[in-house]
Amino acid sequence: MTLGLLVAAYLAALNVARTRLGVPEDERGRAHPAVLAGGALVAFGVIAALAGWSGPLLRSLEITSETFRIGAGFVAAVAGGVVLAVPRPAAEPVPRGWRAALWPVAFPLLAGPEVLALAVATGSQEGLGLTLGAAGIALAALLTLGFLPRRPLPDRVLVWASRVLGAVLLLAAIWLAVDGIRDV
Amino acid sequence: MARRLVLHLALLGAGLAGLRLAVVPAEVCPQVTTAQVSHAADEAAAWMVRNIQEDGSYLYGYNRDEDEVSSQYNGTRHAGVTMSLYQYAAVAGRPEVIATADRGLAFMLGRLVAEPGWQAWQPPGEGVQLGSNALLAAALVMRRRATGDPAYDDLMRGVGRFLVAQQQPDGRMYALWDAATGLAVPVAGKFATGEAAWALTLLDSVFPGEGWGEAALPTLHYLAQHRDRDEGNFTRMPDHWAAYTLAEAGPAALDQVLSDYSRQLAGYFGIRLRFEAQRRGTGINLLLRWVPGTPAGVGTAGEGIAAIWRLAQEDSRLADLLPNVEERLACFAGIMVTRQSTAAEAAGFPRPGLVQGAWFYRGYVQMDDVQHVMSALLAALPMLETQEVAG
Repeated sequence: MTLGLLVAAYLAALNVARTRLGVPEDERGRAHPAVLAGGALVAFGVIAALAGWSGPLLRSLEITSETFRIGAGFVAAVAGGVVLAVPRPAAEPVPRGWRAALWPVAFPLLAGPEVLALAVATGSQEGLGLTLGAAGIALAALLTLGFLPRRPLPDRVLVWASRVLGAVLLLAAIWLAVDGIRDV
Repeated sequence: MARRLVLHLALLGAGLAGLRLAVVPAEVCPQVTTAQVSHAADEAAAWMVRNIQEDGSYLYGYNRDEDEVSSQYNGTRHAGVTMSLYQYAAVAGRPEVIATADRGLAFMLGRLVAEPGWQAWQPPGEGVQLGSNALLAAALVMRRRATGDPAYDDLMRGVGRFLVAQQQPDGRMYALWDAATGLAVPVAGKFATGEAAWALTLLDSVFPGEGWGEAALPTLHYLAQHRDRDEGNFTRMPDHWAAYTLAEAGPAALDQVLSDYSRQLAGYFGIRLRFEAQRRGTGINLLLRWVPGTPAGVGTAGEGIAAIWRLAQEDSRLADLLPNVEERLACFAGIMVTRQSTAAEAAGFPRPGLVQGAWFYRGYVQMDDVQHVMSALLAALPMLETQEVAG
């Protein structure tokens, strides 16, 4: 998988548009910077941990990385389908202060099952560097989006962008599964 | 908030558990030594030797649970078992089985049909077929490798000319010859085309410079590019005979199309063996993965991946496949060694001699089950020996 494809896969799995819809905002309609950055950092840490330990993890589960790609494709396909059906995340109760970075930003908005599966799949196949590069670019895009005020980003645009990213995730899922099937 | 968190975590946990059970169950690959693999091949060969009949035919099939011997027979499978016995004699250095294989050979030699330009054997109750004759030619090549005896060289060439007579300009092979019309019948045999291509490359190894290898190439290209569409296969057929042919032809004979075909075949054998390693045949795994596959099915995947391993050793274009190919081949050997019926298990059945050394699918063994697994184990041995030496 090239870096471009990996970035597309992480943009779709982290679904920056859908996440932006669910991130707590300040009174000016911008995502709360500390909360968004904190959540992104936690998600990045989870991705790094899973990608870095994907080899030992898969060995302990007795799964080859080729077969796991099929599983990751399955998870991503389900997640992509859910996003297409429900492009706006559920409104979750938001705790005060820094805890909002953990809930709901890091989980469930960012570190959802498709991101966890993708981190293990790409970590074991493409290596830690490429995985972190792609996830980092996707999270940087999210941060950029978060700091934009909502006026130029009405809900309608974000919902459609969320659907498009859901479709991209579906394509990435099919690609992953087929690659896992065709590999030795 | 806590309730929502618990709900999300519960959904995540249930999803992961479902994924583990249904999509990515553990792939269990028992570790085995070369001595164990060698012993398994010995036991399989002993099963064939023990169960050959007076007339040179082999035990076709046996249901150990019903204590029932199959009354069916199949000429192509007969030729395949004979070939594998010679293969065993050559690879494992066991000349003592040649006498038994020669009895199986005599069964075919007693049914030879000679036409102007070629010779072929006709199995009882069957027509003159491409596949059974391809495997006769392969058996004779393996016999020559095992014994160095040139007694059947002319017959090898005669059968080879029959194979070439069935070949069409585009490389396809017709699977039957009609004695009434004296013409090839335009039907395809599922595995016969690959068997014929392999036989031709084997003949080339014994008779270099006579054009057998060149004759195999159009058929190999046909297999790579047109066969699946022509035969209406939904996916590319994981043809282990094609893999044997590619390995026998060697990298110098393979253009990019054939090299890509080798890679695709490796993928098909790989997923087959990974899937097999997930099968436990008990509990919930039985519901999701069903019973362990037929030994012939698993064995052909083993033969195929072993042939790709042989090719990838020499072909730098496929070198990147080697680590995974080796992993799958070792896994295959581990699975099949542990699935083989032991003497202790066999003692619990009415006819232990028909059980010991065989591989059963839901209580039934067929001659090609034992043949394919044994051939694959023999082919895995060099790789396992190399790994053992390397530590």
